[in-house]
Amino acid sequence: MSDLTASTAPGARTLGLLRRRLRGSYDIDDWGLDPELIALAEPFVGARWEVEVDGAHRIPGTGGALLVYNRQVGLSEPWVLAHGVRRTAGRFVRTVGLLDVAPLGPLLRRFGAVVDRDDEVEGLLRAGQVVAVPLSRRVEPGRPGSLDPRRIAAARRAGVPVLPVALVGHEATRRWRVVVGDPIAEAAPPPRGRRARRAAGRSAAGVDVDAPEVATAAAAATAVGRILDDAVPATWWQ
Amino acid sequence: MRVLITGMGGELGTRITNLLEADERITAIRGIDGYPPRRRITRVDFHRVDPDDRRRTSHLIREFDPEAIVHFGVYEPHAHFGGTAARMGTLASAVSTLGAARACPSLRRIVVRSGIEVYGRRRGATLRPDESAPVEPTNVWGQSLAKVEQLAVEAVAGTDVELSLLRYAPIVGPSFPSPAGRYLRLPIVAVSPLAELPFSLIHQEDAAAAAVAAVHAPVTGPLNVVGSGAVTASQAVRRGGRVPWPVFGPGWRVAAAAAEVLGAPLPPHVRDLLVRGAGGDGARAVAELGVEPRSTSEVVDQLYRWAETTDVATPTAAVTR
Repeated sequence: MSDLTASTAPGARTLGLLRRRLRGSYDIDDWGLDPELIALAEPFVGARWEVEVDGAHRIPGTGGALLVYNRQVGLSEPWVLAHGVRRTAGRFVRTVGLLDVAPLGPLLRRFGAVVDRDDEVEGLLRAGQVVAVPLSRRVEPGRPGSLDPRRIAAARRAGVPVLPVALVGHEATRRWRVVVGDPIAEAAPPPRGRRARRAAGRSAAGVDVDAPEVATAAAAATAVGRILDDAVPATWWQ
Repeated sequence: MRVLITGMGGELGTRITNLLEADERITAIRGIDGYPPRRRITRVDFHRVDPDDRRRTSHLIREFDPEAIVHFGVYEPHAHFGGTAARMGTLASAVSTLGAARACPSLRRIVVRSGIEVYGRRRGATLRPDESAPVEPTNVWGQSLAKVEQLAVEAVAGTDVELSLLRYAPIVGPSFPSPAGRYLRLPIVAVSPLAELPFSLIHQEDAAAAAVAAVHAPVTGPLNVVGSGAVTASQAVRRGGRVPWPVFGPGWRVAAAAAEVLGAPLPPHVRDLLVRGAGGDGARAVAELGVEPRSTSEVVDQLYRWAETTDVATPTAAVTR
């Protein structure tokens, strides 16, 4: 009876959660993600960003997945994506690009940020986590940026799907839209030649330009661009 | 199988010996260390030899002609000895043992105690490296372990001897002499709540079980032996009912000096652990050794459970009864 009262009393859940924090009896995973802290911060994140998600069913319910998303300034996007996916697909998202400097680095790790390294990304994917990697900020005609093919190589080695995700919104706005596309099929290697390589999206330090991941990285960036084109409402000058 | 164990006098070495004694596949065991074993041993030929005494160590190893060597003559700074003594002892023991190993015709396997400290914790490094991560130690303890690994690899180069490098997470347990365990058990513990990253630990029993499994398993190369999950220093301290004392920057110097006065020195590798975190992907060890270590939070809980006292009957009471 007392348990029932405790669980139904207003604020009992938060009180129990705070008590667990004080006792240290909560879980942190090997990469520093703290699910209870995320739950505590959820109302604040929800107050800052209102996120609408389309295609969340494409994110696997279990196992790893690599999400490739676009960004502008890049401050809101990781929060928006993680919040939207968690709310609709029930998965925690690891956003790549953490600056490993205290106190910001350790704090952001609690919310799922990880460093931009092959071994970190591959380790997460192998452990069945959802990892989100951003496209570069450089925008070219028809493409919202390029993707480092090494991230695709990590996904291939871990045997997880690559999903394009378009984020529509602005840093200053509250409303955001997240659109998850169909998994990217492995693309054929790009044709040889400098122009063709540039079109393939390179920045492939240490990756053979003929490797399939270079073409898949380009295909992922193109897919994000295509979803963005469909998702962004046309303006009067278009 | 004839097994030679170095570092047998330590808590871990003695426990491994006890497990090997109970194993019928082991026909003979010879132990070497500068200090006597910590528990009762039944069928071990123990020799008390100073790690610096290379000639005697070599003679004992060659004479025994082991089929497997379990090299645990590796000394963590401030566990038993100070920093310099531990480093010198680790190096001397590795040079004499692994040097003599080449002259043993029956030798088939070498199991070496190492640690995840060999990966280092540079800024921007992954928190959970697997065995393929580069060896880039960032403190003296990590450098000592990396040197032992290097000597072991050189010792088996060009031979058929299989080498297993067990890269343990910091070993902690109720009766294990560990500077991290000792520090975390202080009543007030200095931590960096805003700058700390999570770390993983391994229980002393799981560490011993992994070593024994490695003697029999046909596993070569490095293996991360790590408890699942992770905790931060503040979290561990609160789990143990201790008082976390937040410190920043130069405050660590004061905290380290105070901890040393209280009998729990804070060497650089423990401070690295508490602030920069440490972990490893232990999936390969679980799969290949068949040892499923208990979780890090469980290890932390057991560390603090040790402080509890148990009432035992006094001799007088026993006589009266």
